[in-house]
Amino acid sequence: MDIPHLARKQSSQLLSTSPNLLSVDGQKMSASAAQLPGSAVSSSASSTGSLAHSTGSSASSAVSASVAALPVTCEEEGDVSCTSKVSRSASGSSDAGAQHASTKRRTIFTHGRPPWYNVDGQLKEAFVIGIAGGSASGKTTVAQMIIKELGVPWVVLLSMDSFYKALTPAEIERAHQCEYNFDHPNAFDVDLLVTTLKKLKEGKNVDIPVYDFNTHSRLPNTHTMYGANVIVFEGILAFCRKDLRDLMDMKVFVDTDSDIRLARRLKRDILERGRDLAGVIKQYNKFVKPAMDEFIAPSMNHADVVVPRGSDNHVAINLIIDHVRMQLNERGFLFREKIATARKDGPMPDTLHVLPRGSQVRAMHTIIRNRDTPRDEFIFYSQRLMRLLVEYALSFLPFQETIVTTPSNALFQGQRFNGTLIGVSIVRAGVTMEGSLRDVCKDIRLGKILIQTDEETGEPQLHYCKLPKRLAGAHILLVDATIATGAAAMMAIRVLLDHDIPEENIMFLSLIAAPSGIHNLAYAFPKVKIITTEVDREVNEQFHIIPGIGNFGDRYFGTST
Amino acid sequence: MHQPTAVVAPASTIYSTISQAECRQRWSRLTLCEETNQVKELHTIIRDRRTAGNDFIFYADRLIRLVVEESLNQLECSETNITTPTGSVYAGVSFTKKLCGVSVMRGGEAMEKGLRDCCRSVRIGKILIQRTESSSEPVLSYAKFPPDIAERQVMVFDPQLGTGKTACKVIEVLLEHGVPQPRILLVTLIASQQSLDLVFKQFPELRIVASQIDSDLDDNHGIVPGCGDFGDRYFRTDDDQ
Repeated sequence: MDIPHLARKQSSQLLSTSPNLLSVDGQKMSASAAQLPGSAVSSSASSTGSLAHSTGSSASSAVSASVAALPVTCEEEGDVSCTSKVSRSASGSSDAGAQHASTKRRTIFTHGRPPWYNVDGQLKEAFVIGIAGGSASGKTTVAQMIIKELGVPWVVLLSMDSFYKALTPAEIERAHQCEYNFDHPNAFDVDLLVTTLKKLKEGKNVDIPVYDFNTHSRLPNTHTMYGANVIVFEGILAFCRKDLRDLMDMKVFVDTDSDIRLARRLKRDILERGRDLAGVIKQYNKFVKPAMDEFIAPSMNHADVVVPRGSDNHVAINLIIDHVRMQLNERGFLFREKIATARKDGPMPDTLHVLPRGSQVRAMHTIIRNRDTPRDEFIFYSQRLMRLLVEYALSFLPFQETIVTTPSNALFQGQRFNGTLIGVSIVRAGVTMEGSLRDVCKDIRLGKILIQTDEETGEPQLHYCKLPKRLAGAHILLVDATIATGAAAMMAIRVLLDHDIPEENIMFLSLIAAPSGIHNLAYAFPKVKIITTEVDREVNEQFHIIPGIGNFGDRYFGTST
Repeated sequence: MHQPTAVVAPASTIYSTISQAECRQRWSRLTLCEETNQVKELHTIIRDRRTAGNDFIFYADRLIRLVVEESLNQLECSETNITTPTGSVYAGVSFTKKLCGVSVMRGGEAMEKGLRDCCRSVRIGKILIQRTESSSEPVLSYAKFPPDIAERQVMVFDPQLGTGKTACKVIEVLLEHGVPQPRILLVTLIASQQSLDLVFKQFPELRIVASQIDSDLDDNHGIVPGCGDFGDRYFRTDDDQ
């Protein structure tokens, strides 16, 4: 059996007391890495420096600095559905807690997720790195070093341990007597693993089972993972099946000497888990070693890279990182510029619906677009317009004919919408429409997606996503105040699609829309309905809508200078 | 809940409203709200006799808001250019004439909130018309208007027009106060075709905004299919809970 996650933290601390053993994780790794010239620490220290600078945080010690360099989200764990947090997928609270301790105060974010789809809205698959190796060979440490030195956000670490099969009472009994073979491919639910990894690679939202090593069963709650650009998958039998290997873009085998691995196992099992020497040796001889010889060692043939000595081998790890970086760069592109210049002209798509332009609508636009309008009036008339927009949008829902009896006992031919409605706002400006959604749709459930534009690249980046439960079959009103190039809207729609919401169930609402945004959205997502109150002339080189309304969020919330 | 006193048609008759095309043809000074799917749904809900209490108020308010927005569209406006924060010029409109609402008690008062939500400091007058015991003809009981009502555009609110006799009496009173016919806009949710015929016959220069037009009246002057007594349902005076 591979190292149970709960014991891992302690084992690393114990091992790190020995100067001969460098294979450790958590804080100690950063300490050991710090001695290497020109390695990760310089990059992590500089990126942390900028973080600290921009947020006023006081991350100063070597330990907290390198830990903070790990990409993490700004939210409480468990409250995030799209996680960029690096922790073992089945991890207990200790690892995550340590990371969050130094980052909790961060409310401003510098690293969001860049687009994971192309200008046509089609997905780019995530880059999957598979890491195999014998028990206690240091796979997780290698994985964490790769992630840390890669320095890109939106990386997830998926552990094969999460996919252990739940045991029957008889098997649990055997497990207690060291008679159950945890090192055999049959001990894992490989089918579920393949399905999960495949979905994750496709950018879909997935539920990772949480395996309880004490009861040898799956806990009822699952760990949700969403939004990985790079997936690091590790496990002793990571290469055990072809369909699993086929999902990997790079296969790494960590080849650590068997005596070092046995020494680690003995220390861990005896010192931390209170097992007796005889039992550990028995399990090692009966299951661990045969599994190594029969399944694990032969799987080295499938590896693209073999890393001798595990995490100690910085040359190999740096080579891996260079390769992955190169691969990621080839996949990247300048998204926003491309869509700003693409598809500006041509007839408006059939999916566009503009609120009928009565004099009231025009008058309200006249007020909110006027740069001299005081904020009080800006808010009032924006809200009036939004209410009309939401009412108008609802008329595109599918209605069913129905007959009702009126108080005068007459039968009346009417119609009702019998489905579920969910609102999703694009933070920040889209939130201003939540009031209108609530005024019109009783008890509507509201999700939020935070997308910010990276100031250096101009690319949209996903920072936060929290959607309501029970999305299946629901119709989604996705709201934002304005749409210019459509970059943020495309990202938000992509998030919804990744959560298995069909395109035709999505309506995108905005007060003002520019032609480029409409064309881009319609081209990428031809079934998404675009509902707006007025179509503007163009988007200028600064990505501003002309004539436009200025920065809607700033004017509404009063945050402009 | 309003108990029907007479069934005017066999229960198997399924009513729909008079089509927008027919309405346009018959009453040139009538404006109907665009009949979108959700306007139809709102009507389905408020006409359903099972819709009670807060639900009735919630959905009636939504419909009222849409009718009020549509009626504001009828007001005079003039072209104007403004500058946006990006420095561009936007060709817009602004309203010229001062506005005043008049709610016909009691149902019309249910529509005041809808008006107030759109025009925050609008002046609102009130008028109460009642039928006397001796005759079915409506009589003015009470009226209170802003002093300069003759200079304003006047929107009269009454959610239902049954026979149209009450509405006619209200218009008469407004004319007596010096408001010219073309400046009066009668705003309602559901009107019977009989009421439209009567009102437009007496006041050909008046304009009416409505949401749906029903075809019948019952013996008790109630609209059929209608939505029952709007005031009773909205103010819950028929509620025994």
